[in-house]
Amino acid sequence: METVEREITVPAPPREVWPALTHSDQVSVWFGAEAELDARPGGRGVFRWPDGTERHVVVEEVEPGRKLSFRWLPFQRTLEGEVEPVPSTRVAITLDEVAEGTRVRVVEQSASARRTTIEHGRAEALLALAAIEA
Amino acid sequence: MRPNRTDAIFSALADPTRRQVIRALSEQGPSTATGLAANLPVTRQAVTKHLSTLADAGLVTAIRRGREKLYQISPRPLTEAVSWMADLGARWDDRLAALRDHVATAQRRR
Repeated sequence: METVEREITVPAPPREVWPALTHSDQVSVWFGAEAELDARPGGRGVFRWPDGTERHVVVEEVEPGRKLSFRWLPFQRTLEGEVEPVPSTRVAITLDEVAEGTRVRVVEQSASARRTTIEHGRAEALLALAAIEA
Repeated sequence: MRPNRTDAIFSALADPTRRQVIRALSEQGPSTATGLAANLPVTRQAVTKHLSTLADAGLVTAIRRGREKLYQISPRPLTEAVSWMADLGARWDDRLAALRDHVATAQRRR
């Protein structure tokens, strides 16, 4: 139950869907938030919602035309500049070529597993600190 | 809902034995650690440890009955966790529909 899975088929081949997932200006069109994404492994991303909420991600896997995964860091910044903790989740978006175009599959799951916490604990602490100081 | 608690809830539920404990509690109703261990492939000590983690996450509460300690499910945090997941799913439904429209529009412009 700690996993959300969704999929949709879009009318274009994976190589044409890929830029919609990785180019900030295109992500901003459909994501519901203004995106600044550095779609490289270890790259950072910032999403700003119309209500002023801001969340950060760290890009994990990048397989062009095939797979993009990133982790939401466990805090958000409100319009008033307050930093609030939120659950950290990992998002994996995969593209599969199908007859009608591309099947886009999203899996978002809780990243609170211990292994992940240890791996990212340090980076998270530094980023959280940077966000508070900024 | 309090986000810190969601993290604790998902962390607690990430373990398959703890999910079994929750299932057993929902089937048997309030039970002792010994009563739960009888129906699970783990020791009473292990069940007690899992119950303590579940209690920390607010998923179960302990009530004393004489010399026994009975554990029962607290439904509210579970409901909160489910509704948080439902919100997350709804957001992706919206995003994916918008992604499809965006890609379709770009295709028509070609």
